[in-house]
Amino acid sequence: MKTLLKKVFKRWEVFLLVFLVLEFVVFGAANPKFLRPNSIMNSIVNYISVCIISLFVTLVMITGGIDIQAPSIIGLTSIIIGVLWSDAGLNIWLAVVIAVAVAALCGALSGFFIAYCGVQPMVVTLGGSFLYSGLALLVSSMSATPAYQGISGFPAKTEAGQYVGFRFLGKGTILGIPTQIVIYAALILLCVWILHRTKYGERLYLIGVNQQAAEYSGINTRAVIMSTYVLSAVSAALAGMLLTANVNSAKYNLGSGYTLAIITAVVLGGTLNTGGKGSILGTVLASLIICILRYGLPLCFNVSTQNLDLPVGIILVLVVLGREIAGQNMLSRFFRRRRKQS
Amino acid sequence: MSKVKGLFKARWASSLIFLILLFLITGIADPAFLNYSNIISCFNAATMYTLLAVGIAFVIMTGEIDVSIGSTLCITAAMTGLIAQQGGSVALMLVVCLATGATVGLVNGVGVAYFGVPSLIFTLGTNSVVRGLVYILTGGRTVENFGGAIASYGNKTLFAEITVYYAIAVALVAISHVVLTRTRKGKYFIAVGDNAGGARLVGISVLGTKILAYVLCGLFAGLGGFVFASKYGQVMTVAGTGYEMTAIAACVLGGISLSGGLGNMIGAAIGAVIMSSISRLLVFIGLPSTYDNTITGVMLIVIVVVDALAQHRSVEMSRRKRLLSRTAENAPEGGGKA
Repeated sequence: MKTLLKKVFKRWEVFLLVFLVLEFVVFGAANPKFLRPNSIMNSIVNYISVCIISLFVTLVMITGGIDIQAPSIIGLTSIIIGVLWSDAGLNIWLAVVIAVAVAALCGALSGFFIAYCGVQPMVVTLGGSFLYSGLALLVSSMSATPAYQGISGFPAKTEAGQYVGFRFLGKGTILGIPTQIVIYAALILLCVWILHRTKYGERLYLIGVNQQAAEYSGINTRAVIMSTYVLSAVSAALAGMLLTANVNSAKYNLGSGYTLAIITAVVLGGTLNTGGKGSILGTVLASLIICILRYGLPLCFNVSTQNLDLPVGIILVLVVLGREIAGQNMLSRFFRRRRKQS
Repeated sequence: MSKVKGLFKARWASSLIFLILLFLITGIADPAFLNYSNIISCFNAATMYTLLAVGIAFVIMTGEIDVSIGSTLCITAAMTGLIAQQGGSVALMLVVCLATGATVGLVNGVGVAYFGVPSLIFTLGTNSVVRGLVYILTGGRTVENFGGAIASYGNKTLFAEITVYYAIAVALVAISHVVLTRTRKGKYFIAVGDNAGGARLVGISVLGTKILAYVLCGLFAGLGGFVFASKYGQVMTVAGTGYEMTAIAACVLGGISLSGGLGNMIGAAIGAVIMSSISRLLVFIGLPSTYDNTITGVMLIVIVVVDALAQHRSVEMSRRKRLLSRTAENAPEGGGKA
C-alpha cells in the first residue's frame, strides 16, 4: 500500500488531476448547476490572465528565477492599446502589436539586469512591477479619458450582437468555445512543445539545476535566462489584450492583484522556486484547480466571493505541507542546501 | 573578512547618502522644503514601513522571505479597531496585536524551517489564510468609528516634533541593531543566512533561529497593525495589500541581500524612509503623484544594479589579485583571465 501511494505521489500531476476530478465530483454532487459547461468555461475565462501568465512564469521559475512584474505589464499593455487606439487614432491591431512589442522590451530590460548584471530576479522584477505600473499610470495620464474611468468602446459588435474584430478576442466563440479558451489551449500546446520537446526546454532545466555547469557545457545561459523574461512579459501582454477585449475597458491597473495568484498557480503545480523542476501540465492543472475552487465554492457552498482567500490559502498550505511530509522533496532539499553552501 | 565587513558598512552608509541626496535635490527644486519640520515629517510618516522593514529584515537575513506581513498588519489593525470600538484598553490592544503577530510568525516559521516548505510558497499560503480571517473577523466591512485614547495617539509628539510612534520604532531599530551585531545569539541570524550548513556544523540551531526570525517578523507586523489603526482610524479589509513588497523594497534599498547573510537593520530603516518619502518629495519637486511608482521603480532597479555590478567587480578584482600573485612568475597576464 505504501509503495503504491508513493508511486502515485511521485507524479505530482497525478495527484493534482485526482484533486481536480474530486472537485468536480464534490461540487457536481452539491449543486447540479455547477456542471453546466458554459458556466465552467466562463469561470476559466474570468481567470484567464492567471492561467496564461502562469504558463510562462513556469519557464522562468524552472531556470531558478521568479517574475512578479507580469501583472503590471497587463495594465501597461491594456492602457497602451487604449491610448494608441482612442487618442492617437491608430488601427487597433497596430496598437496591439506596438503594445506587445513594448511589453517584450520591458521583459528584455528586466531580463538583461537579471542575466547580465547578476541581480536577484525577485529584486529586479519587484522594481519592474513598480516601474511598469508607474509607466502605465503615466501613459493613462496622456489620454483625454480620466484614468479611473478607463477607455471603452472598442470595436466591434454587429447589429446581430456578434462580436467581431478586436472584441472577438474577448467575447467571441469558436465552435461554441470562447475564443480565450481556444487561445489558452493553443498556448498550452506551445508551452508543452517548448519545454518538453525542444532543446531550448532542455536547457531551461539544465540552467535551473546548475547554471555554471550549463555555461561550461556551451549553453549561452545568460541569453536563455533573459529570453524567459521576454516570453513571460509577452504572455502578460497577451493576457492584457484579452482582458481589455473582454471587459471592453483599457485601464492602467488591470490585473494589479494577480501577482500572488500567478506564483501560487505555478508552485502548486509542482515547480520548484529554486529551479530545475516543474512541468506545464502541473501548472495548468493547478491553475484550473484554483479557478474551479473559486467558481464552485460560492455556487455550491454559499461561500461569499469575498471569503475565497481563506479556503484557497488553506488548501495551498495543506498541499505543500503534505508534499513535504510525504518526503518527495528530499532530493530537491538536498540540492537547495548544496547550492546555499557553494 | 575585513573586506566583506567594509562592504557592509559602505552599503548602509551609501543608502544614507542617497537619502540625503534626495532631500538636497528636493531642496534645490523647492528651497521651502528644507526646514526641520518637513524633514522630520518624512521620518514620522515612515513609522509603519520602518516597523515592517525591520521585522522582515530578520527573515531576509536568514535567507528566507515572508510575504504574509501585509495581511498580518491588516488583521491586527482590524483587531485593534474592534477592541477600541468595545472601549477596551490600549494595553489589551497591544497584547492582542503582538500575540496575533507572533502566532502568524510561529506558523510561518514552523512551516518553513521545520517542514522545509519553500518560504515564498508557504507565506503566500498563510497570506491568503490570514486575509481570509480578516473577512471573517470583520464580516467583510470596514472597521471604523473607533474613538478613545488610541485615535489621539497617532499625532502625539514626544519632543522636537518627533512622534511617539517613530521614537519607539527608532528605539526598536537600535535595539535590533545592537542585538544583531553585538550579541552571540544575534549574530546567528546572519550566520544562518550566509551559510546554513556551516552554521549547523558549528552548533547553531538553524531551525530555532529561523523560527525566531519569523516570530520577530510577526511581532513587528503586529505593532505595525496597531500603528496603522491608530494613525488612520479606519481599517478596510484590503488594508496592507502590497505592503510586503514595499517592505522588501525598503530592505533591498538599505543593502540587505535577498539571498541572506548580508545587511543590517539601520539600512532597512533608512530604506523604509526612502520608500515612504518618495511621494512626499515629488510634491515639492513639482511632479504629479502619477510619477510615484515610476520613480520608485527606476530608483530600486538602478540601486540594485549598481550595487550588483560593484560587488561583482570587487570580487573579480580580489580574485584577479590572488591569481596574479600566485602566477606572477610565469604568466602574469594569462593567469588573471581565469
